[in-house]
Amino acid sequence: MRYTQPDLLDHLASSYVLGTLTGGARRRFDRLQRDRADVRGLVMQWENRLGQLAMSVPVQQPSPQVWKAIAARTQPPMAVPSGGWLGWLKPAGFGFGGLAAGVIAASLLFATAPGIFMTSDQVAMRSGEKLPQSYVGLLTDAQGNGKLLVSSLRHGKTMSIKVIGPITPPAVGRLVLWAVPTDGPAFALGPVPTSGSAVSLLPDTSEKLLQKVSKLVVTLETSAAPAGPTGIVVFSGNCAKLW
Amino acid sequence: MKPDADTANRSLESLIMGAAQGDHACFAQVYQRTHTHLFGVAVRILGQGQAAEDVLQEAYVSIWKSAAGYRNEVGGQTIQAMTWLIAIVRNKALDALRARARRRESELPASGDIDEDDVQALGNPAPSAMQLLEQASQALHIEGCMNALDGSYRQSLALAYYQGLSHTEVAAQMGAPLGSVKAWIRRGLEKLKTCLAAQGVAA
Repeated sequence: MRYTQPDLLDHLASSYVLGTLTGGARRRFDRLQRDRADVRGLVMQWENRLGQLAMSVPVQQPSPQVWKAIAARTQPPMAVPSGGWLGWLKPAGFGFGGLAAGVIAASLLFATAPGIFMTSDQVAMRSGEKLPQSYVGLLTDAQGNGKLLVSSLRHGKTMSIKVIGPITPPAVGRLVLWAVPTDGPAFALGPVPTSGSAVSLLPDTSEKLLQKVSKLVVTLETSAAPAGPTGIVVFSGNCAKLW
Repeated sequence: MKPDADTANRSLESLIMGAAQGDHACFAQVYQRTHTHLFGVAVRILGQGQAAEDVLQEAYVSIWKSAAGYRNEVGGQTIQAMTWLIAIVRNKALDALRARARRRESELPASGDIDEDDVQALGNPAPSAMQLLEQASQALHIEGCMNALDGSYRQSLALAYYQGLSHTEVAAQMGAPLGSVKAWIRRGLEKLKTCLAAQGVAA
């Protein structure tokens, strides 16, 4: 099946989140999600919608044993067993040896079975010893401080925006990321978060949208849907092709 | 598990980001704030019992491991931390429910051999899936919009969401043709999307 129709993908995403997509179809959709950021975006949107319905579910108190079991599986070990032939792995109170052993074990597993950790696309990139073909941009403020890292796979339809330096949320308006082509008007790529990261869904592939874009800017906009950048430019940077 | 002043004042979103960086105190606070609600979600689907507690445990271990994957915004839309957590628990609960159904298909229980989870689930009297949908619709102010749908549409959506029933199970429970139930649920989801968008919630 070709997963190119937006309506079909949206329907599959809604059925997946609801739980009515079952069996082989669910497994196929799981794989599709792993490989396509736009599909993950649709799923997240449906999780957001259907999650609203869970607000009416009455709360229930689980046994205290549940947290103990969770903590035992997630908390870093504090106590260090004395003696024994593995004692050298854990120098007193620090656990460096255990960490090192874990890193070694994980590295071996990573080297022998990378598919456990990565998608097939990522494995291919790794074996090719190069980064995936992407459009990237590092945006800085007027003083040259790094603020945003923008990236999008060349043939992908999503754009990741990661905050890499402190950004003060504007009191009025919102920050918008714009692409500035060499021979045309600037167009919006999406809103900019002031912390963490965000994913914007693009109307087309990056290749089609950004092929002739050399610069990215972030402006402070006060209108809800500005046709072009009208506010002050707060961050800017070059848009580069990573291939 | 007492929160320190730092974690107690942080937003759920910020705590998940802290957990993503390996801060176990943040993770403990995420549990403290959300576990009764998330356990309620698991119990709705699996019934009271060990299965729901197992799912809750697996879900939080998964949250700890995948906290770095949380995105607070996708496509310009804010993704609430709580709905991200709910999705993880629901997925685990649905997996457990389907696995239970497969076990039953392959292992017909001897006469008198009753699943403890079933007994406790049956003993859980209320509220019904339909009541929960109505309560949620009221809280979200989309009641009028959703009520434009026929009751069968809303009931099939409620059974699928709150009890984790498959199309076939919803059809059996409602005594309706499978094709109709599939169409009702699809229409119900589309309507929900429209109603939420009109209300400016999770558009």
